[in-house]
Amino acid sequence: MAEILLSEAEKTFILHGVEEGFRCDGRMRLDYRPMEVETDVVSHASGSARLRLANTDILVGVKTEIDTPYPERPREGKIEFFVDCSANATPAFEGRGGEELGTEISNSLATAYQSSQTFDLTALCILPGQQCWKLYIDILILECGGNLFDAVSLAVKAALHNTRVPKVKGACLDGGTVDLQLSDDPYDCCRLDVSDAPCLVTLCKIGDHCVVDPTAEEETCSSGSVVIAITEKSLVTSVFKTGVGSFHPQTLIDILKVGQTIGLSVNKALRAALLEEEQQGRKKECFGFLK
Amino acid sequence: MARMDLISFKGLRLDGRRANELRQIRCKMGVFSQPDGSAYLEQGNTKVLAAVYGPHEIRGSRSKALHDKALVNCQYSMATFSTGERKRRPRGDRKSQEMSMHLRQAFQAAIRVEVYPRSQIDIFVEVLQADGGNYCACVNAATLALVDAGIPMTEYVVACTASLANGDVPLVDVSNLEENSGGPNLTVAALPLSGQVALMEMSQRFHLDHLPKVVECALQGCRDIHQILDQAVRRHTEMSGSALGWGNRAQVDL
Amino acid sequence: MDRTATLTKKETSGHESQLGLDTKADRLTDHVKTGVVSQAKGSAYIEQSNTKVVCSVFDPREIPRKSGYSVNGELYCEFKFAPFSCIQWRSHQPDAFEKECSLILRRSLEPAVCRHEFPNFQVDVYALVLENDGSALAAAITCAALALADASVPMYDLVVAATLGVHGDKKFMDPTVEEESLCNILPPDGRSRNHGIITAAFSPAHQQMSEFAQSGAMDIDCATSSIQLLREACESIYLLSQQCLLKGVTKMLKKKQKEIKLDLSSDRIAC
Repeated sequence: MAEILLSEAEKTFILHGVEEGFRCDGRMRLDYRPMEVETDVVSHASGSARLRLANTDILVGVKTEIDTPYPERPREGKIEFFVDCSANATPAFEGRGGEELGTEISNSLATAYQSSQTFDLTALCILPGQQCWKLYIDILILECGGNLFDAVSLAVKAALHNTRVPKVKGACLDGGTVDLQLSDDPYDCCRLDVSDAPCLVTLCKIGDHCVVDPTAEEETCSSGSVVIAITEKSLVTSVFKTGVGSFHPQTLIDILKVGQTIGLSVNKALRAALLEEEQQGRKKECFGFLK
Repeated sequence: MARMDLISFKGLRLDGRRANELRQIRCKMGVFSQPDGSAYLEQGNTKVLAAVYGPHEIRGSRSKALHDKALVNCQYSMATFSTGERKRRPRGDRKSQEMSMHLRQAFQAAIRVEVYPRSQIDIFVEVLQADGGNYCACVNAATLALVDAGIPMTEYVVACTASLANGDVPLVDVSNLEENSGGPNLTVAALPLSGQVALMEMSQRFHLDHLPKVVECALQGCRDIHQILDQAVRRHTEMSGSALGWGNRAQVDL
Repeated sequence: MDRTATLTKKETSGHESQLGLDTKADRLTDHVKTGVVSQAKGSAYIEQSNTKVVCSVFDPREIPRKSGYSVNGELYCEFKFAPFSCIQWRSHQPDAFEKECSLILRRSLEPAVCRHEFPNFQVDVYALVLENDGSALAAAITCAALALADASVPMYDLVVAATLGVHGDKKFMDPTVEEESLCNILPPDGRSRNHGIITAAFSPAHQQMSEFAQSGAMDIDCATSSIQLLREACESIYLLSQQCLLKGVTKMLKKKQKEIKLDLSSDRIAC
């Protein structure tokens, strides 16, 4: 979110455009910008994805570690989100400048993934009460071109889809210590089921209308946005408001309904893209940042 | 770890390179649109992004402004997933702060800071994947980003590492495996055309007699990298130039 | 897992007797009071059955570590559980949940405060939960709005908040701690699989929702129908909040009148 300075005239232009149903980049109100997603871009991570949504650039790496489960939930693994706002995105993030935004995004993801209907943590259990996998989902924001929440959630879902957890061949309790035997073959590993992982959809209120996938310029014109986390089964797993404005209850209901349809189509599109990439298999050309 | 021979009797290193062979360098300028200049550089498995903002007004307290030259501000940070073991913090630890300082020292020597008094130039580097020679990759990427930003420099700053194997063979461009095996490690940031050294750092030890040999090896590495970077810059300029309609060579190529 | 399973069973059977929605307007807001902390510019105290929250607001001060000019004033909100407020001891350091609550608190209050009235200044709002028996965040939002009003911070309207817990077909208005933890668990198979907690903040004068924070997993109809329920609950608290403020103002006026009378009489004596 580099500092965006818009004059009153420019703001009015965007506002009037949205009212007429046209946006500065030629989209309609409920259109997304083109998106590119590529998985398996970081070799040191168990799973990774890079997502570019016009100017927004997100890199996600998933790392696995062995940990002890929470005593109150012995049969579940752990998952932790960490968002790092790189100073590459804007000088304002230098040092600890991006921390506040980072915690906001990681908290919202944690809430969206909280329900057991979204992501099955029991799959990460190795030995109940003794050992489990802990997934560190590290999100790196490299460029901010608006609509961070959507981009981050899609990148996280793609990275989780790509994650491979090493297979445990045998685990036994020897006295007080746990003896784990991991498979020697690096290709012998388990995939994670991400079919129910939620996607976040931001609906940004500009004037009397809502737009999806706002650009950074549109975000500065908006009085407030509603972010909805929605799964493929059309379950709402989190709703919250960002920005300073407030909404009439009826507007809120309308926004939620629009968000649901948008969320479903985004989920579907991401799934199709990931499947297509997977079918290319090993022949897939790895572009990374060189494209 | 059992002590491995850094170089086999056939003269090959652990990853199959010769002693004086660099890792493959791939790079791209202008990866992002928001910064004034940006670059991505891969040196073997080490992957680095650099972004340059500026020259612009001093941010934060005005008292930092220098009346006769620009302030060069660098930040080095590593993605938490960049290393084999997960890093807790991307920046702010002592190692990163030291790296930021070294970056600043190297670039202050090459940027023509006197052209922009009372202003600031930000250089941010982000290590996406660490596999040895992080500092060098950062310096090289930042040089490309500075060129992309159009900031005047006396010449390219290029960095390279060198080590000494079996007590007498100098190795260029040390990888992570070789770093960890405990040999000496010499990092040089140089201005290769004029043959000046902007920064030199060394860890471990070897006999003084070997120093000229190792330094020369690192400097030769710098000269080689300089050529690669220069080619990349020329290619990028031709591409963007032909898009703007000037220069006809690139158009013929296309 | 076993423990939670038994809890689920027990709790659901416990609530089986209460049909459908458990709207406990009678449980709501036993006690509201403003001006409880003498050192603060404005303060309020709220009791919702066993949940007790105290909130103080301090004088505007210049925004620390800020170089530029900001047209709108800023709200700094801090939400904290007292170390003794919950079943388990809570650290003095704010944890991730408290930080998120602080953020929600700020988001709920910001739209109601006339921030352009104090540019370049910041108003500090501290909410402390003395005892947590569920719906602490909603109580804190209501309480903070009263404290802001008590501190004479210019506002468009009061903000009132309510929490709704959803578990299967059941909905709990202002859930207790047990109900909250029940709503965080997936309901057993067979019935609706909705579960979750919704906290909403509402400004009734302009019919504006300033925050709608949901967690858990539920279908869209459940979420939309909750909006109406929460709105009704908020309106009932709104009346109480207004009365409380009115009481505070009349008390102050009476005190002032007395002082004037005293002044006059002392003047007469002087004559």
